[in-house]
This record gives sequence, C-alpha cells and structure tokens, in this order.
Amino acid sequence: MARDLDIVSRRGRLTRSALSVWAVLVYVFLFAPIVLLVVFSFNANRYGTFPITGWTTKWYGQVFHDYQIRDALTTTIRIALEVTAVSTIVGTAAAFPLVRSRLPFRSGIRIAMVLPIMIPGLLIGVSLLVLFTSVFHQTLSPTTAVIGQSVYTTPFVLLLVAARLQGFDASLERAASDLGANTFNRLRYVVLPLLAPAILAGALFAFTLSLDEFIITLFLIGSHNTLPIYIYTQVKFGITPEVNALAALLLAASLCLMALAFVLPGIVRRALRLVPRRAVT
Amino acid sequence: MTSIDERLFDERMSRGRMLRLGAVGAVGVIAAGCGGSSKGSSGAASATGKSDKAVTLNWLTWSDHYANDQLAAVKQQTNEQGRPQLFSDNADAYLKIKQTGSQFDIVSGDALWVPKYNKDGLTESFDLSSLPVSSQLYSIARTFPFWTDGSNYMGYPFSWSTVQIYYNPKFVKTIPDSWHAILDPKYKGKISLENIPTDMMAIAGKATGAKEPYSMTTAEIADAKAYLKQFKPNVLKLASQNNEVVRALADGSAWIGITNLGTDDRVKDAGGPLVKPAYPSEGTVGFIDSEQMVVASKNKDAFPRFINAMQQAPYIAQNFITNGRPLFNEKAYKMLVNQGHGDRAQRLLYNQPDKALKMTLKGPSGNEQAYTDAFNEVFGA
Amino acid sequence: MSLPGSSPGVPATQPADVALPLGRPGRRTWSSWLGEYAGFAPALVLFGVFFLVPLGLIVCYSFWQTIDYNVVHHWTVDNYRYFFSVPTYVSTFWATVWVSFAATALTLVIAFPFAYWLARYVPKQYQKVLLVLVILPFWTSYLLRVYSWLTILGPEGAINRFLHWTGATSKPVSFFLYDRPAVILVLVYLYFPFAALTLYASLERFDWNQFRAAMDLGATPGTAMWRILLPQIRPGITTAVIFVFIPILGEYLTPQLVGGAKGVMIGNLIVNFFQGAQYTRGAAAALLIAGLIVVLLAVFRRSLEVEDPYGT
Repeated sequence: MARDLDIVSRRGRLTRSALSVWAVLVYVFLFAPIVLLVVFSFNANRYGTFPITGWTTKWYGQVFHDYQIRDALTTTIRIALEVTAVSTIVGTAAAFPLVRSRLPFRSGIRIAMVLPIMIPGLLIGVSLLVLFTSVFHQTLSPTTAVIGQSVYTTPFVLLLVAARLQGFDASLERAASDLGANTFNRLRYVVLPLLAPAILAGALFAFTLSLDEFIITLFLIGSHNTLPIYIYTQVKFGITPEVNALAALLLAASLCLMALAFVLPGIVRRALRLVPRRAVT
Repeated sequence: MTSIDERLFDERMSRGRMLRLGAVGAVGVIAAGCGGSSKGSSGAASATGKSDKAVTLNWLTWSDHYANDQLAAVKQQTNEQGRPQLFSDNADAYLKIKQTGSQFDIVSGDALWVPKYNKDGLTESFDLSSLPVSSQLYSIARTFPFWTDGSNYMGYPFSWSTVQIYYNPKFVKTIPDSWHAILDPKYKGKISLENIPTDMMAIAGKATGAKEPYSMTTAEIADAKAYLKQFKPNVLKLASQNNEVVRALADGSAWIGITNLGTDDRVKDAGGPLVKPAYPSEGTVGFIDSEQMVVASKNKDAFPRFINAMQQAPYIAQNFITNGRPLFNEKAYKMLVNQGHGDRAQRLLYNQPDKALKMTLKGPSGNEQAYTDAFNEVFGA
Repeated sequence: MSLPGSSPGVPATQPADVALPLGRPGRRTWSSWLGEYAGFAPALVLFGVFFLVPLGLIVCYSFWQTIDYNVVHHWTVDNYRYFFSVPTYVSTFWATVWVSFAATALTLVIAFPFAYWLARYVPKQYQKVLLVLVILPFWTSYLLRVYSWLTILGPEGAINRFLHWTGATSKPVSFFLYDRPAVILVLVYLYFPFAALTLYASLERFDWNQFRAAMDLGATPGTAMWRILLPQIRPGITTAVIFVFIPILGEYLTPQLVGGAKGVMIGNLIVNFFQGAQYTRGAAAALLIAGLIVVLLAVFRRSLEVEDPYGT
C-alpha cells in the first residue's frame, strides 16, 4: 500500500535505494569495531591490539577454565534480566498516568522522572550505598544492585513508552469500549499490543544498559562480581584478550538466540498445522 | 618480534605452564610434609593443614595478586576458596571496607594506606612469624617500621614497584633522568601515564622538592601545580588502565611512559620497540603492597592458612613470570634464578628489595581535596 | 501550539479533555481515579524510596565537607563557591556542552534516515531482527568497543594504514585520536542505538498513507515530511535528544580513553573527585550540572509538552 508510491515514482525509488545504502553503511559502522574485537580474540598479542603477533585460541581456552569470569557472567545476566523486568513493568505502568491523567504539573513530573539520567551514576551509587548500609542495615548483594540499576534504567523505559502513548489514537479505545470491552480487555487487546514496539524497545534498552552498567553496581553489589566490574577494575595490568574471547562467545550466542527466535515461530506454526484440530464452534 | 624473541617468548610461556603444573605438585608435597602432623597450637588459628569446613574468603584485591589455578590449588589443599573482587585504587577499597563491614575478609593495600586501615580499626595486625611461609620473605620485608605494630605486623608483604620513566630511544635521544627533563617542549604530546591524580601530584611534588609528596603544604601544592601546568602540553593521554600506556608506547604514539617496573617487557610483548628505563635523580614514588586481615571478617581463623598457602614460593615465582614486577619472596627469587629467569629478575630489581624503601611510598594524602582541586585546575579544559 | 484535538487547518471539535480514564467512560468515581493513578504506585516506591531519599542525601553531602576521607557533617557552601572561583570548571562545562551538542546532532542526523528506512521500507517481520542487530554490538563491553576504536584511529590503526597504503600520507596522522573530534566520533558510535531505537519506536506507528493523501492534495514530499511526519514524531525526537544529550554530558570514560589530555570533559573532573573519595565536592559538582540541565529542560518544557495530534 504505502509502498506503491515508491515503486511507481522515480524519486521514490531513488530515495529508497539511497536509504538502503545508508542503512548498510550504518551497519558497517556499527560492526566494524566488533569485527576487530573478534579478530583480536584470536591474537596472541596480550594487549588486544595491532600488530597481530600470532594466531591462537588460548584466550578461548582461558575463558572456559576461568570460573571467575563465568561467575561474573552469570551474575551479570541474572541482574540484567531482573532489572529489565522491573524497569519495564514500573516504567510502562507509570507511563499511563503521566500521559493520560490530568495531573497539574505534568512537565514538572516528567522532568523529575528524568532526573536519574541526569545524576551521575557515581552519586546514585554512593547515596544508595549509604542508604542500604547505614539506614536499612542491609547487606549488599545482587538484589541491592538490581534496585540501584533499576532507578537508572526505568526512566528510559518510561520515556519511550510515554512518547509512544502520547500519539495514541484514543478513538480506538473508545471504539473498543463501545463494543463492550472493560478496562482490562481494552488494555490487553487494544492498548498493549499497539504499545508493544515501544515496550519492547524499552525492555531492550533496559537490558542493554544493565549489561554494561558498572558504576552503580560497583557500589551496591557487595562481594559479588559482574562482568563490567571484572573488566573495568583490571586497572593495574589491564584486560587481556580473554575478555575479547568472552565477548565474541556472547555475541555468537546472542546471534544464535536471535536466529532461533526468528525461525522458531515459523516452525512452530507449521508443526501446529500438522496437528489435527477440532472444529471451532 | 625477531625470531629469537619469539622463541624466548614461547620458551617462557611453556616453561611457565610447566612451572604452574609443577607448582601444584610442589605445594602439595610441601603441604604434606609440614602440614600433616600439627594442627596448630591450641587457640591460635592454624596456618597449615586443611580447614574443617569449606570457607570462602572474599578478597578485595588487584588482579595481579592471584592466578585462577593458584586459587583452585589452594582450595584443594586447604579447603578455603579465595574469591577476589577487584578495585582500582586504595581510596575506593578503603571506603568499601568501611561501608560493607563483614562482607570482605581480606583486603590488599599499599604502603602507607596499611597503617591507616589499621589505625581506623578496619584491619587487624597478626603475628607474622606464626605463618611458616613468612620465612621465605626477604628479612627487610618483615621489618618495615611503618607496618610494625608491637610484635605484630599489619599486613603480609607481597610486591612492590617504582613509578618511573620509560623512554623509546629511537625518538628520545637524551636520557630523561630527571622529572624536569620531561618538561622539554620537544616531547609535546608524547608522554603517557595513568590517571591517578594523587600520584601525579606526588610526582610533581618530588620534582619541585616537596618534603613529603603525599602530605604537601599549601605552598608545595602550588609549586606542584605549576609543574603540572608546564607538564600538561606534553601529555598525550591519561590512561585508565595500565595496558593503555603499554599500547601507546608500543604503537609509537607515545615516546615516554611514566609507569611501573616491567613496562619494557610488556611493550615488547605487545609487539612494540624496546623501551628503556630511566630513574629520575629527584627520586620516584612507588608502592609496596600487602594482604591485610579485615577486622569485621567472620573468617579470621581462615586468614593465616589461606595466606600461608597462597604465598608459597612456586606461586610467587609464577606470578613474577606472568606479571613482571618484583615481589618480596626471596625463595621465589632463587627458584627463578635456577630456572634461568635470573637476568630478568635482576633487571627488574627483584633482588634489591631495599630499593623499595628509597622510593616515596604511596599513601593517603594529607589533604586529598586540595590535591584533586589542583589537579583538576591544571587538567581541565 | 495548536489545541489538542485539532490538526493543522482543522479546528478543534472535541472538548480539550484528555484520554479515556481507565475506568468506565464518563464517570469520575473514586475507583476510576484510583485506576487512573494506580500506574504511578510502583514508580513512586522505586523513585521515592530509592532515588529521592538518596538524592536528599546527595544534596546534604554537597553542603558538607570531606576530611581525611570521611564525610564530616559541617555545613558549608564552600563546595559550590569553589566551582565558580576558578575558571576551569565553567570552561570545561561549556566545552562539554559543545561536544555533547555536536555528538547529539550528528547522532540524530545518522539515526533518523536509518530509523525511517527501518520503519517504512523493511517488511514488518524483519524489522525486529534488524533492530536487535543494531543493539547487538552493545552487548559487548563498552571498554572493548572503545578499545577497538583506538585500534582503528591510532597511528598504527586501520585508518592510518589505509591512508599509507593508498599513498595519501607518508607518516601517521595523529589527528584522529586523542582530541575532541575522536571523542565526538566515538560518542556518536556509542549512542547511536539509543537514538535509533527511540526514533524507530516513534516512526513505527506512523501511518504512511498520510503521505499519499498529502501528495494527492498537492504537497511535495518535502512539505509532507515537514508538516505531517515531523510534528507527529516530535515526542520521539525529543526523547531521543534527552537520551543522547544528557548522558553524554556526564561521560568521562570515552574522553579519557580517546580524548587524551585535550579532550577532557566535565565528567572527568568530577570522577577525579570520586576517585579520591571527595564525595562532597563531587556531589556539589554533579548537582550543579543536574541543576543546569533541569533549567534547560524547564526552559524548553513546551517542546516536552504533551501535544496529542490525534486528539481525543
């Protein structure tokens, strides 16, 4: 439909090809450092840089024997998943009143919600550390780190969902309501599906931010390790390509997961079609 | 790298691997030899043998204080698992220990930070001689006056290094043997060093003749600041990790590095040129570090046994081969000489621990705020 | 600013009432009021307890002193006074704003065509995959990515080797590294997915048929874009700017890694305070900057306003 115009008009076609070229360039730009990163994971040079002093897989071997880095990795992913869950739920829930209610100081509240992004993570970390240890007398653990990170990531989800919700066509909801849907069904069948891209984007954001979050976590995690902490604190002698190897492995795993997520629904659908179904009454 | 270098490199690596395997066996033999019988005197924590129950010791330290297979072997031997968490500089660690109380059992600290930890009631002194492995240390390391607490000692000495000048002779024709030599405008944008404001101010203090570079008076701070202002145009980069300095020297973007002992080896390993050390006439700053026992730790009994196992000579020798800076274990030095690493050890001053006392030792600064203010005022935009 | 409920040229026909309350339409009962504001509850707990309270603590810190690595409760405005007593902080801050502005502008210029392409020309089933591909590089460590840039930009790096190989230069050009341009480039790289994701989320729900309608009515593509597309995705653009500009103001790691001594940003100076455990000074500096940003946002709050182009 919307694509007819592009095929028909010459200018449309030109624009489309130009944009495709642009997109390819963008992907090259994004992945060039990543390709180098993977190359250096096979580099015998301990400093992960040119020149290539030799090709080796010893860094990968080290990753598999290094229980510390694996421990850090599992902690990191666990925290990231929890932070994503918390931020997405809290952020999405709060986006509704922010956009739709008749609150008096909406822009003021919006600015207040953005504050955690403005305050350096160092300060959030330090103040929460004091709060947890001196006021609440809690031992620091991954849970306290999850709370700290969530404070930082939730505004991102909130703003993303709110931006999308702002232009939301309320007549759709009204139509659903006219047809007899109650609040819950309206949410479930009309609003949330249409919000889904923004919620997904927000969740991706939160997950990505959490994976590499270092400062707040360092203060709040107690004696555990996360991958960013492991990497950033190697100050005295610096990181080795073992970290590159781990990153390359993670990348490969993510790519596989993605490919799976892409291909699996199609397979499932086809499999279901093979199963005889009862007639819908 | 030339083929000879490559061969030496490979030899060192494979020897290292053999040494590591040998170390596990050797330590096992040693442990069986002297740990089997006595379980330690009554009351005092035993430094040998196996712990009755499995213990995890949370250890706030630097990445070069341990190796993974070393931790695994020690766990096998003593039933005590070391669990390191890293930190970047002493102030961080100090505050962390302060705030988290019993979450850490062992903390590593530099030179004059150790007395501070001790004085502020964060760490506890212990009887060094109750650890059999302490007999392997150079005697000078057992008697540092600033670590002595009556008949006890505040920390178990581990390693040391100066912070000095390394230069690339291809570009730097006159040896920069003074902190003032690096102010020369022909080195504009060619010097790389680590971003540690306190240490840089201390170096500036040494250059301008401050009596105590880590506790300067206001006038001395002003002089140091003026020195840094002059120095700033020559700075290429203030690095966040040591390997960035190595890389800058290796790819030639930096001609001079102000960094720890052993940088020449590291630059060579990174495929770079041969850089040479230079010792400024005004003297250098440096660190000596140790392992300390945290007061609030719930596993204080496990500390002696763990340290006794970790600090055995074979591990220390391996640590030297991997990290290339001097340590305080004398027996390890002898092992290194026997294995043909004597040259390297001597070049890196391993057998001259007395040099450690000639440095200005790293410590908490008397007026950190003034130091940071001065530093920021110089290096701001 | 047109009334909500109107579109350009069409007067408002609906009352300027807001969207449907989450309760039965038309009745403002206690339960519907609760339903409307219930969404705030978890956020209130999270931000109220775990952000505002610590924020209060930070404010207190900024008025206290650090003596011998301990925070001492002596009230003083010395911290704030200090930042205006030397020119360094103000000039560094302006330099930071300039860098942040340039990086944000560049990021948006690069991200917008990309997001447009993704939302409009890519078949729906591939959109999510391509989106995740954008973010995938960012599941590797920040430090590793910037280190990779060091190898691309450095004297022995990919760019210089290429220039040397083509004969364009005979010795390494050091322009690419250890200065402001390098910082801007790497920042654009690092914040690109923030902008791309945000713009995509906004563009994705745009009804492209409106373009056809506009062209049928005689508009040129440029006019269609300017008067139809941009107003509707303005919340997305604003959000993208917030996500990029504000965090960059606080950046310190990239300037340190690729900026050298010349690329210092205000974040570096603040981090030096924290490294030396001078939390009180650091708190004052950070609050000053946050305050300035709040002022900026307040001045531009009208562009943050909820303009509801579809109306209710």
